[in-house]
Amino acid sequence: MDITYPKILFIDDEKGLRLGTEKLLKKKRFDVICAENGEQGIKLGIQFDFDVVLIDLNMPDKNGLAVLKELISKKPNTVYFIVTAYGSYESAIEATRLGAYNYFLKPFTPQELFHQIEKGLKQRKLLLESIELKKERELNLTTIAHEKSRLNTIIEAISSGVMLINKERKLVYYNKACLQKLNFDELIIEDEIIEKLPKNIAQIVNDILASENPRGKSYTTEVEILPNNELTIEATCSRVPHPDGTFAGVVVVLKNITGLKQLEALKSQFVSMVAHELKTPLAAVLGYLDILTNDTLVVPEEKQKQYLQRSHLRLRGSLDLVNDLLDISRIETNHIIKETEYVAIPEIVKSCIEILELEIKKKNINIIHNIQEDLPKIKIDKNDITKIFSNLLSNAVKYNFENGSININYNLNKNFIVVSISDTGIGLKEEEKQHLFQQFYRAKNKHTKLVSGTGLGLSIVKRLVDANQGKINVESVYCEGSTFTMHFPFK
Amino acid sequence: MALIAVIDDDPDILEASTLILEANGYKVVTASNPTTGFDIVTKDKPDLIILDVMMDEADDGFFLAQRFRKEGIKTPILMYTSISKAIGLHFGANDLVPVDDFVEKPISPEELIKKVQNLL
Repeated sequence: MDITYPKILFIDDEKGLRLGTEKLLKKKRFDVICAENGEQGIKLGIQFDFDVVLIDLNMPDKNGLAVLKELISKKPNTVYFIVTAYGSYESAIEATRLGAYNYFLKPFTPQELFHQIEKGLKQRKLLLESIELKKERELNLTTIAHEKSRLNTIIEAISSGVMLINKERKLVYYNKACLQKLNFDELIIEDEIIEKLPKNIAQIVNDILASENPRGKSYTTEVEILPNNELTIEATCSRVPHPDGTFAGVVVVLKNITGLKQLEALKSQFVSMVAHELKTPLAAVLGYLDILTNDTLVVPEEKQKQYLQRSHLRLRGSLDLVNDLLDISRIETNHIIKETEYVAIPEIVKSCIEILELEIKKKNINIIHNIQEDLPKIKIDKNDITKIFSNLLSNAVKYNFENGSININYNLNKNFIVVSISDTGIGLKEEEKQHLFQQFYRAKNKHTKLVSGTGLGLSIVKRLVDANQGKINVESVYCEGSTFTMHFPFK
Repeated sequence: MALIAVIDDDPDILEASTLILEANGYKVVTASNPTTGFDIVTKDKPDLIILDVMMDEADDGFFLAQRFRKEGIKTPILMYTSISKAIGLHFGANDLVPVDDFVEKPISPEELIKKVQNLL
């Protein structure tokens, strides 16, 4: 390990003193270099990094103070002594003013020299330590600056708007997301922003600014920025304290909750539709029951029977609706987990037809099922495909005329099996066709009036076909019939 | 004998209303959609119109009531409502809702007759 000894430069034109001092210091294990005049002293002083420099005040080529001045400008962290035989009060003051650490007289005793040098070395140590500290501090500042820029990057990256308002009510920070959240063209730092904010937010920010309570409580409000569910935000305002706990300002976080609001609207629309659809048959049945149990009303016997039959039918309809709703909820919660197996579609269709046999006979409907023997099986959820065909076939019967017919055909088209179900029923008007797969949509015309339905069957079909990577479309002529065509992929 | 027009798209509500009203001595004409509803009112000139608020669309009944008033038909209107309250549609009779009274479904015979008598 290298041991480094204190480095000392001694500048003096007096050869005897120079040599004596050098010897003395070397003995004490100092690393000494001597210079015989001012110029040489400056050169050496700049060239090396000395701990202590001793400068003679009076040298023929250069005044010691001039040497001091020059060296100190280049090496400010070295400790300088002025040594002189003709000390004066003024030169001592001048030397310290220029930055010399101390001033002592020649001739000096070895003890005095060592004592001065020890003091100088201590000072040197302090100087070096303070430099280290300064460096460290600068490093810290750089870290903080990095930290700050990293924080900036993070805040810029988050999709919520973040803005900071100080207690002088001025905008001091914001990220770009604020502009979009507030639908503003610009935000200006140092601007008095509060009154430009939506009323609810301004109110909360003002309340927080006015409040004496140092506790950081957050307040949240919803603001419709653009009407018709186009842009709704949630603003959360919180106090921002200084590290010492005093009040610094308010941070406002703006979150886009438009999607949530749209979902909410859809949900409540759905709930009120379900409520309406459930209440309608119940109201009809209760109406009949009120009549049948009313002592003051005389109801002919055949009417009594008719009311009971109608009640039965309407309640059956409600039950169907509840079952359809359960199907929808099943599709929505389970659509990821499918238990697929290889299924022959014609077999499914056959079983659906069997279930509908009674109604088919009642209406005397002719079923033409054109089974193709070589049709490949498809990998699909059997429950789904059964539901699809039972809904479609039951519609084809329900909305058919008496003595009508239903044609079921199969085709192969590239990677798809194409199945079509054509009926000779009431068909659809052009405007009805567009809404057909919507929940609770039922075409209302003179033909559908007495057919009970939930308005969910086809929306369930559509969801199930979609969930199984198929597609479905409908062609229809009002009063002539409809054809539903489905494509199911196979490999 | 007073003539009452009942306009509702639910055949069972029409049937039940007709039975109750006829049993109480009223004559009844019915329609199951706004268009025929308007026709029977202009043709038969009933003494009272009973109108369902929600037919094809959520407020078809309101529009039909407004249309009657716009065309100068001042016949009293009794409106059947269903879930309007539940979904937050609170309303009272005013210029926008030019009806004279409401009956909440399901319809109780007593309430219906009482309200009908009030308006005739």
